[in-house]
Amino acid sequence: MAELDDIIHQPLRLRIMAALNALPSGGGLEFVRLKKLTGATDGNLGAHIETLAKAGYVAVDKAFVGRKPQTTVTATAVGRGAFARHVATLQEIIAASARPA
Amino acid sequence: MTPIDPKEAASALSEIKDIAQRVRQSTIYNLASLSMIMWGVLTTAGYLVTYFSPRHAGYLWVTVDAAGIVGSFVISALGYAKTRVRSFDFRTLLAFLLFVAFGLFASLWLGHFNGRQLSAFWPIYFMLIYTAVGLWVGNAFVVIGLSITALTLIGYFYVGAWFDLWMAAVDGGGLILGGLWMRRS
Repeated sequence: MAELDDIIHQPLRLRIMAALNALPSGGGLEFVRLKKLTGATDGNLGAHIETLAKAGYVAVDKAFVGRKPQTTVTATAVGRGAFARHVATLQEIIAASARPA
Repeated sequence: MTPIDPKEAASALSEIKDIAQRVRQSTIYNLASLSMIMWGVLTTAGYLVTYFSPRHAGYLWVTVDAAGIVGSFVISALGYAKTRVRSFDFRTLLAFLLFVAFGLFASLWLGHFNGRQLSAFWPIYFMLIYTAVGLWVGNAFVVIGLSITALTLIGYFYVGAWFDLWMAAVDGGGLILGGLWMRRS
């Protein structure tokens, strides 16, 4: 059986990746919206996005809209692949438990 | 890594499904709210001009619809650049035109509605769509659709000569407030 992805498995990182993967490829979420959707605090969310970015799973784009800084997070192709494998592994775990021993 | 049991795996999958649903709804609300605010501003202007210069109402509402269609394409393009989701495309335009064509057929050709009846018919007709769409995409649409319909009917039966001003407030203002509320929810 394939292994779960240690980076994605952490609960908040799983929520971040789930949120970003719900968008079509190339679509991103602003930091504020991601915070609202995942129920995370600023600091916590920032730290976990950094971990995902270091793994190459997300890309972070910082820009100014007017005078306000805006951070947009997007799942990379590597991140989408890792997330898909992680989900497949979770489904395998459930399927294996349903099979008679 | 430490293996997890099937119960934890099921819980993780359920969380993924739940957040994906919230993202879809949030994306729809985000894009729809901008369109709603824009239509609210245009509609307010439409009713105000209808009240103060009823002779120009016919041309004006065609202009309002044309400006709304152009604005919807602009909002859709801006949203697509960020989310890769289109809120308004040519299929939506076609649906909108069919909807308007049926409204014109029912209200002018079949119904011969007067000005006051037209001012009540169009928002109720549009709010029917908001309410029906809301059954699939989110309760906010249902609340906005039913509220504006109820306020329109109250105005139609109980507000006298000020009806178009009432409609500027409850239809135009209602869409603006509804859009702002959607952005917060």
